Amino acid sequence: MTKQEQVKAIFIEEAGEIIEKLDIDIIRFEENSSDFSLLNEIFRGVHTIKGNANAFGFIRLGEFVHHFEDVLDYYRSTQESIEEHNLELFVGSVDVIKEVMNCELDAIPTLPQSYDGCLEKIKNLISVKKNKASSAQEPQESTAGLKDLALEFGLSCSEQQQNSIQRAIKDAQAKQSEGLSVYKVDLTLDTDCYKRGFDYLLFLNMLAQKALLLESFFNMEGIVEIDSFKSGENYIGKVSIVVLTPLSKSEADEFFEFLFDYEYEINLIEPPVLEVIKPSVETAKAVTQNIVSNSMSSKSTIRIDTFKLDELFDSVGELVIAQNFIAQNDKIRSIEDESINRTIETLSKITKRIQDRVMSLRMVAIKDTFDKMKRVVRDTSKKTLKEVNLIVQGEDTEIDKTMIDSLSDPLIHIIRNAIDHGLEADADERIKAGKSTEGSVTLKAFHKSGNIVISVSDDGRGINKERVLAKAIERGVISGDENLSDSQIFALIMQPGFSTAQSISDLSGRGVGLDVVKTSIEKLRGKIEIDSKEGEGTTLSMVLPLTLAIIDGMLVRTAGEIYIIPTLSVVESFRPEKEIVHVFKEKGEFVSLRGQYIPVMRLSDVFNLNAKRIEPWEGILVCVETEGGRIAILVDELVGRQQVVIKTLGKTLAMLKEISGGAILGNGDIALILNVDELRPLVEASHV
Amino acid sequence: MDKNETQSKRERYLTFYIGNEQYGIAINRIKEIIAMMNITKVPKIPSYMRGVINLRGSIIPVVDTRLRFNMDYREADMHTAIIIVEVEKISIGFIVDRVEEVSSIESSSLSEPPKFGGGIDTDFICSVAQIEDNVVMILDVLKLFEADELADIEQIEQKQTQGE
Repeated sequence: MTKQEQVKAIFIEEAGEIIEKLDIDIIRFEENSSDFSLLNEIFRGVHTIKGNANAFGFIRLGEFVHHFEDVLDYYRSTQESIEEHNLELFVGSVDVIKEVMNCELDAIPTLPQSYDGCLEKIKNLISVKKNKASSAQEPQESTAGLKDLALEFGLSCSEQQQNSIQRAIKDAQAKQSEGLSVYKVDLTLDTDCYKRGFDYLLFLNMLAQKALLLESFFNMEGIVEIDSFKSGENYIGKVSIVVLTPLSKSEADEFFEFLFDYEYEINLIEPPVLEVIKPSVETAKAVTQNIVSNSMSSKSTIRIDTFKLDELFDSVGELVIAQNFIAQNDKIRSIEDESINRTIETLSKITKRIQDRVMSLRMVAIKDTFDKMKRVVRDTSKKTLKEVNLIVQGEDTEIDKTMIDSLSDPLIHIIRNAIDHGLEADADERIKAGKSTEGSVTLKAFHKSGNIVISVSDDGRGINKERVLAKAIERGVISGDENLSDSQIFALIMQPGFSTAQSISDLSGRGVGLDVVKTSIEKLRGKIEIDSKEGEGTTLSMVLPLTLAIIDGMLVRTAGEIYIIPTLSVVESFRPEKEIVHVFKEKGEFVSLRGQYIPVMRLSDVFNLNAKRIEPWEGILVCVETEGGRIAILVDELVGRQQVVIKTLGKTLAMLKEISGGAILGNGDIALILNVDELRPLVEASHV
Repeated sequence: MDKNETQSKRERYLTFYIGNEQYGIAINRIKEIIAMMNITKVPKIPSYMRGVINLRGSIIPVVDTRLRFNMDYREADMHTAIIIVEVEKISIGFIVDRVEEVSSIESSSLSEPPKFGGGIDTDFICSVAQIEDNVVMILDVLKLFEADELADIEQIEQKQTQGE
């Protein structure tokens, strides 16, 4: 990758993040359109995209964002309340940004359909507003002082600049109160200032910690053409910053003590005596608070390659094993020395702490994903013309980062399903059933016995069991003779090609059925549970392991080796009575359990292990649920149950379908993890 | 790679014994050498694959080189070692009878492996070198990996044109 490509890749990643955030913020803003700090947030995002888009030649994106920014800026500075239809336009604009971004990335020459229309509307809006504003003139000006720092690049001529500096100063003066003063700081850095370790941003950041930046002006005249641009040189000749701060001039001087005297100039701007509008104490307070919260909220984060995290994860695993070895080593234990014992004790504590922290690095709150779903709910509710109230619970629940990425799509699908199919089609039906006209969808995340459960519930019409059964028989999924439990019936709707929706809308029936949801959840080693009461609603829960790297496993011993069966698939384990084990001629062994005949599988047979053959009633049968039905695995004994870190056996052994990986036990030995879904066909082969 | 520079110079090989024969593997392929350790059996794999070992937290498959060469099985003794070789980020352990030394071999003293008659498999040997009185057979690690059931060798070969 060339430097340019690298920078571009960073831009694309960043823009993606910003757009994702815009998406969430705009919905929140729609809910509460008087929250101007949120609007500021949105403005900042749009602004960043604008700068970057133009820098990378994404002109169409830049153009659109530029106008969108104007509109946002207007509302932001006037704090005028936003009309409903304009809000709609904003939401639409974010969509356009998303689409244009994709077009730019794939270098698609055509623009999304909505591009022109949306841009036109924005331009109209801004011209209408501008006209109004110029006729109404200055009155709003004085409230505009709390504007955040917008680094306007280029374009403005120096006269304009002077004017806006004057205006900013005036604004700031209005705010001046006891203990707070306004300074104008002029910085003049030469071209090789980077080599000395200075840049403007450094000072801006420093100032921002102690002061509220009111305005800043960059003299961009010195900027050269991109071809002759050298990243090591500074082309910005002068920056003027107007700040509001409780600091005295000499304190402010300290920021710049490393600069030469001629490079900076700080001027106190005295409030003109005549114009003193008694500033309310509250404003002053608000400003100080603002300063505090600004510096508080600048949480610093760094991006880390997940590969590096995995490596760290592995190393910590090694550390734990080595530490265990020391702690359990008899020779070391026999040393009766207080300080050695204490050190070993400390070592084990530290190791534990490091392990916990490293584990927590991978965990992120599910909030972001849930926030995205708000958008989904909104769009779906508009499309289906159903009023939906989304209730979100447990959004602070933490979940493995790698898992979160693959959760979005299933969740989107389930939510759409819940609104489209789950909720009643029209309000009358709901009123008849004694429910409020507004349907409700609850999105919930919580921990349950070592797993994370994410559930989507609606208060709609529930699943009609008869219809599901009829459809299943029609499709040949079941024969109709089976005696199915409720949960088994509900599970039928996740079969491929199964849809009880009487009409196919553009929301569902896009070829992504619930079966896809099921497969993707199973890939994450989770499972889906459906619960529904007709007339009352449906709950679809995804039960997921805490992290992808760890599963809860049942350790069993057979033929001298220890194997691990994922606890999630274990139904029960028991020592069978001789009477319930049946051998059918040439069909193999079965165990009858509550009227069901479950095939018995010997690992030693399917894996060709040399082992003494034991009878089922001498060992333990572990009954597991697989895709193809239940099987009972015969093992010598149960060893225990523990959380194990899954490791792959490597590419060379990847063809072993029956083994999904290995885990390292406390003593350093490896135990293989069985993939029970792949065992069932083997059993079928031997139990014809 | 700085292969061009080293071509006419010396290259370093780790030499080891299997039975009475001395073999070598280019040193840049070798990650480490460890003493024989507990091997977990893995079902349904070729018999020359002995199973997997836990190398400080990573699970690595182990090949019994004797069995791979169709030689008799031999119990491990104090000299038995596992050479961990890495190709294309895949690590594999090879069990050998005894590790000898690291020797520098002039590339000029390498020669084509002799063509043995029918039955003997010379696929693994990419060249033969003379070190003093001994003949050292330089192994082609990629070929050692090869087996229908194992990693898709074609893929590896495509990326790694002509292994060392």
